Amino acid sequence: MKKQITQRNAWDKVLAKLTKRSLWMLHYCTGCGAIELPPTMTARFDMERFGVLPMVTPRQADLLLITGYLSIKTLKRIILSYEQMQSPKWVVAFGSCTINGGMYWNSYATIKRLDMYLPVEIYIAGCMPRPEAIIESFTKLIQRIDEGKANSWKDYYTNYDFYRKNQERVFGKIETYNDIKADGEKFDIQQP
Amino acid sequence: MNTVLWIVFYPFIAFFIGIMYMGYSRKFNARVERRYGPSWIQPFYDIVKLMTKRTNISHGWMHDISLLMLLGGTLATLMFIPVPGFSYFAGYGDMLVIMYLILVPSLGMALGVGETANPNGSIGISRALMMLAGYDVPFVLSFIGMGMLNHTTSMFDLIQIQQSNGIASWGIVTNPLLGLAALFALQGMLGEKPFEVYVAPHEIATGPMSEMGGKFLGIMFITHAITIFLELTIFINLFLGGAFTWIGLIVKQLIVFTLVLSVNIVFGRYRVDDAMRFMWKIPGSLALLGIILIIFQQLRS
Ligand code: SF4
Repeated sequence: MKKQITQRNAWDKVLAKLTKRSLWMLHYCTGCGAIELPPTMTARFDMERFGVLPMVTPRQADLLLITGYLSIKTLKRIILSYEQMQSPKWVVAFGSCTINGGMYWNSYATIKRLDMYLPVEIYIAGCMPRPEAIIESFTKLIQRIDEGKANSWKDYYTNYDFYRKNQERVFGKIETYNDIKADGEKFDIQQP
Repeated sequence: MNTVLWIVFYPFIAFFIGIMYMGYSRKFNARVERRYGPSWIQPFYDIVKLMTKRTNISHGWMHDISLLMLLGGTLATLMFIPVPGFSYFAGYGDMLVIMYLILVPSLGMALGVGETANPNGSIGISRALMMLAGYDVPFVLSFIGMGMLNHTTSMFDLIQIQQSNGIASWGIVTNPLLGLAALFALQGMLGEKPFEVYVAPHEIATGPMSEMGGKFLGIMFITHAITIFLELTIFINLFLGGAFTWIGLIVKQLIVFTLVLSVNIVFGRYRVDDAMRFMWKIPGSLALLGIILIIFQQLRS
């Protein structure tokens, strides 16, 4: 077996210091929580201070913000969007609906736990979380990137079978356009 | 030897100054909106992040080559622009060369975006080329006007003529109509509002950039930084008498850029046909009027 590298070298640390300052997010406004995003972006809470900027297409984004409950139909689109994003990429799940179903626990049309389908980096608890909580999650993420701990995205490459199995349990056979495992080998992505 | 050093380092200097302007523009917009705003070197962080992405999706070799064409075309144009201390190539190519070369980046981008087959990208690029046809009319007319006024098409000679007699001989003083037309064209060339039709994030998802991620987008950002420097310098060389020193150049660029940004922040976006119509009607006719004035002047003398 290949020797696993656990120690980060100096270059990675420098890069982490620089790249943590720039996070572009794709906000997938599915649930009610999305209403807290406009104040977070604009003059009152101004998230651009941390280098977080809303972006419009998944190709450009590093951060996928999932704001609230996810119906099964939306989940399919989210998976497609997520697979289009370029690594390193992080999912921030927003509100109690993404943690355990929240007040949609009984619903036939929503999923309950997001991390069965996508690797989630950070959860924000609350129904709904205030802008302060969102900013808090960004600073937390920045801190984790700096420490080299924000590696949940690697899980999608190395542990793809688990996610795919769960996705197929909900959708039946689905068609996605990226060969995740081949990509992971091509770009040499392994768990640290 | 000196020339070789300049050729090697000139693009880097232009890039670093351009990136400062990108940061300045974001900070400026933030302060006008009463936000604290990002750090001054935020675009630098962005570019580092984009260039160190772990995965990259290429849509075929045309997609790869087009970005080289984008960057290469911009660098080639940059070489022909005289700046204080370096005017080696400016002696070989005049404004007509610059007029040609400045079209190469847009065409390169069109080829690459076509390859990605993203409908938003195609709309964006068709809008970009339409805008190009829009702002090229006042831009080229003001070029021609300055050439007729000074009996030369060399940008280097133009600078020397303007520097001969202080502010009174600057292009913007000797022919304000052409200067005004070029200022409008500059707004369109830099892609600032109200002529931001081909980026339009809320409308067509950043158009040409919509399918670009990672290193591709990084190269586009680098090109944009150089383009800001390049286009501001062209305007200054033509109408504000060039500059004797780099400090002078940067001060003049900052003034012009602040003017452009102040217009940018208060306007919304034109529809693409309106933008085109405006470009041909107002700056176009201003430039034509300027040229007619020059012809009359020269007939009389
Ligand atoms: S957690 Fe609460 S606010 Fe958020 S989507 Fe669910 S119900 Fe709405």
